[in-house]
Amino acid sequence: MLKMVLIGAVAVPAIAAGSVAATGVVVVDVKEARGGQHIVVPVPLALAQVAAAFVPMEKTHVRLPPKAVQYMPVAKQVLAALAEAEDGELVRVEEPNEKVSIRKEGDLLKIQVDDNGEHVKVQVPISLALSALPESGNQFSASQAVWALQHARLTEIVNVQGRDGERVTVTVY
Amino acid sequence: MRVKTLGLAGLAALMLAGTAGMARAQGPSGKAWVHVRVEEGPRQSKVSVNLPVSVVDAALEAAPEEIMSHGHIHLGRMGRHDLTVSDLRKAWNEMKATGDAEFATVEEEDQKVRIARAGNLMLIHVDKTDGEESVRVEVPIEVVDALFSGQGEELNLRAGFAELKKRRGDIVRVKDNHSTVRIWIDEGN
Repeated sequence: MLKMVLIGAVAVPAIAAGSVAATGVVVVDVKEARGGQHIVVPVPLALAQVAAAFVPMEKTHVRLPPKAVQYMPVAKQVLAALAEAEDGELVRVEEPNEKVSIRKEGDLLKIQVDDNGEHVKVQVPISLALSALPESGNQFSASQAVWALQHARLTEIVNVQGRDGERVTVTVY
Repeated sequence: MRVKTLGLAGLAALMLAGTAGMARAQGPSGKAWVHVRVEEGPRQSKVSVNLPVSVVDAALEAAPEEIMSHGHIHLGRMGRHDLTVSDLRKAWNEMKATGDAEFATVEEEDQKVRIARAGNLMLIHVDKTDGEESVRVEVPIEVVDALFSGQGEELNLRAGFAELKKRRGDIVRVKDNHSTVRIWIDEGN
């Protein structure tokens, strides 16, 4: 009997941990400047997905303007073509104290903005962008976007460093 | 005169933009990239855009029907001068038969415009007399020919690009006293 209890005590957390690991976790890491607070918030994707399902539809769906709907197929085609294209720098803007770069590296679109001491890095897997775009209709669903993060496993999707040393990172595991 | 110059530059830009989009990532030109560089001196600003031709192609293929229709673009009448694609096609058919020639040279107080054919290239050059501004558009003859292979008021962009993608090098250069613009195609990114 004790053996069964022990197995249950180990198996339940193990299955829970396995499920979370299998569906993914988003970790938001916020570090304040000058030795301030350090907050780490892990959010299991499955939990976020479930939570999104309980939120009223009008709160999680963004109605797209007609022009955006009209150009949605263009966006999809461009992303699909980009996924198959050679790697390289697509856009570079340089101004005094400001630099913007958009590069394609493998499946990643890497966006880097340096603006007067602030640094923003965003990495978006093209497959994520493709699956986040609505298949049809004129609505963008937040839960669909959350689910699309599955395509960004093991990727630091956002890294923001402020002028004073504060830092925010969002990583999908 | 200014309207005519702008019209020609606009048409050239439209042809280039449109045909650049019709690229196909196939064969030897499969890795071709379209490059755009804009530099503004006083603002110390530099903008570079590099796009695989396959990406621009995909964008145009998926473009809404009202803009594109089966690789053709419908221009209609251009501005108040009623210059139609049919008119341009007729003029082009006349011009291309003449071989190397100066089709138009217009000298004004402040600028000189030259439209000519030199070998395989159609040249549109605009130079300000003070030497501070110039526009250079150089398009292979075959590209213009292919563009005008459409019917009526349509330009055949797909055919135009099929020719343009063979070109490597500058297509457009614009320089004025504040900025420079360069558009070209090559194999590198």
